[in-house]
Amino acid sequence: MFDNFSTGVAMIGSPFVRVEGLHFSRGEKDIFRGVDLQVPLGRITAIMGPSGTGKTTLLKLIGGQLVPDAGRVVIDDQDVHALSRRTLFRLRRRMGMLFQSGALFSDLSVFENVAFPLRVHTDLPETMIRDLALMKLQAVGLRGARGLMPAELSGGMARRVALARAIALDPELVLYDEPFVGQDPISKGVLVQLIKRLNEALGLTSIVVSHDIQETLSIADYVYVIADGQVMAHGTPDSLDSHEDPRVSQFIHGEPDGPVPFHYPAGDFFDDILSLEARP
Amino acid sequence: MMEHLRGLGRRSCDVLEALGRSGLFLGQSMLGIPSREGWSLWLSQMHFVGVLSLAIVLVSGLFIGMVLALQGYTILVDFGAEQALGQMVALSLLRELSPVVAALLFAGRAGSALTAEIGLMKATEQLTSMEMIGVDPLRRVVAPRLWAGFVALPLLTVGFSVVGIYGGYLVGVEWLGVFEGSYWSNMQASVGFIEDIGNGLVKSLVFALVVTWIAVFQGYDLVPTSEGISRATTRTVVYSSLAVLGLDFVLTALMFGGFS
Repeated sequence: MFDNFSTGVAMIGSPFVRVEGLHFSRGEKDIFRGVDLQVPLGRITAIMGPSGTGKTTLLKLIGGQLVPDAGRVVIDDQDVHALSRRTLFRLRRRMGMLFQSGALFSDLSVFENVAFPLRVHTDLPETMIRDLALMKLQAVGLRGARGLMPAELSGGMARRVALARAIALDPELVLYDEPFVGQDPISKGVLVQLIKRLNEALGLTSIVVSHDIQETLSIADYVYVIADGQVMAHGTPDSLDSHEDPRVSQFIHGEPDGPVPFHYPAGDFFDDILSLEARP
Repeated sequence: MMEHLRGLGRRSCDVLEALGRSGLFLGQSMLGIPSREGWSLWLSQMHFVGVLSLAIVLVSGLFIGMVLALQGYTILVDFGAEQALGQMVALSLLRELSPVVAALLFAGRAGSALTAEIGLMKATEQLTSMEMIGVDPLRRVVAPRLWAGFVALPLLTVGFSVVGIYGGYLVGVEWLGVFEGSYWSNMQASVGFIEDIGNGLVKSLVFALVVTWIAVFQGYDLVPTSEGISRATTRTVVYSSLAVLGLDFVLTALMFGGFS
């Protein structure tokens, strides 16, 4: 019914998602130039990097929404981009994704949003759908908000409802796209705890894409740092904290200037100011 | 020179690519067996694009019928042919004005709303999240809207004609004093079911497909920003209007041009 059991007997820690030699470009700009990474089963893997390095694009490539120029993404031994549209949609039922904006369906209530995947993918009776949706809402602490519409929710609440919807079908893999962006400290703390707790309680494999260093490092089992279209460093959070590469160190410790320059490349400042040109 | 040629080539490729994409989009959306839930989605879209467009279409139909009768009477009366008013109003409406004006109004009222709605769903990642849940947005979001437009516009066109003919009656018979019997009997004698009503309906089916297709494709294919939504909504109205008027000429030539 749920079609969410792994095809083989997989061990915790064995690679569940493999990204191999991934190349992707938009127009003239290369986003990825040969990215390789592995996401172990049952663990939280973080993908970090400065803004604009294509972290969200990487999630879309893993989810099969974008097609790479070269390389492949393998989830549970299935090459995502070699699947037919029908098989891809079947594979996606085994995944959940938390979007940066929440992406709740604006014409459905909180309860209906969480019940949506259950309604479209199962033939469960209405009473059971109600119980399951309420259980998921209870897990994110928003059972009492079931009757509200998405427009009535705060940013943090919307993201928690989206999380409840992402885990509605008990997926094996959950992709988190910038889960902490724009959240107040309390909401951030709640989301950190939720991601950690859900991963342990439901035995999920999680990929967290983020540039919120403290929060992400506190829950991740393994971290990949991406910059300039390649994996710059990878390792456990502790090993990255004392990494020798100055670019990694600058990112992890949040230093404003260093190998990654503060200024966007430009000509000489004084020449620019003293020039008589009217154009910007 | 070379730069211009290259730009022309690039634009031509873009147009061809968009045409191919929209063709695939139409095929993928319209094929497939609707589920039980698909029917309820279709019904709610029928309400949105059909029932909610009823007022503007019927009021416009009434006024156009009244104006036709008024203009027609002033010309026909010079030749002593005002008894042919019913025939003139009915044929003008059934063959031309109902399908064309209803389609133009539909593009402005329902088409632009469809583009904006689907575009906003795209901009707020609702379509992407639907895909990630394993639900094809082409089947769930686009197909019910496409089928609703395809069914609703011909029905609206029929309503437009009926109300327009009644508007002509109000002005011609009730106000200007054309004999009621000749208004209806001339109409009955001259309007053919297949060649006039049938051809008008065929036109409106073609317009319905084209206008709804343009509207949903523009919404689905837009750049997901506020500027992108505004441009796509404008494009829907402009492209739909041009397509309706252009296709009207082609269809009229085929149906009434004596080529067959």
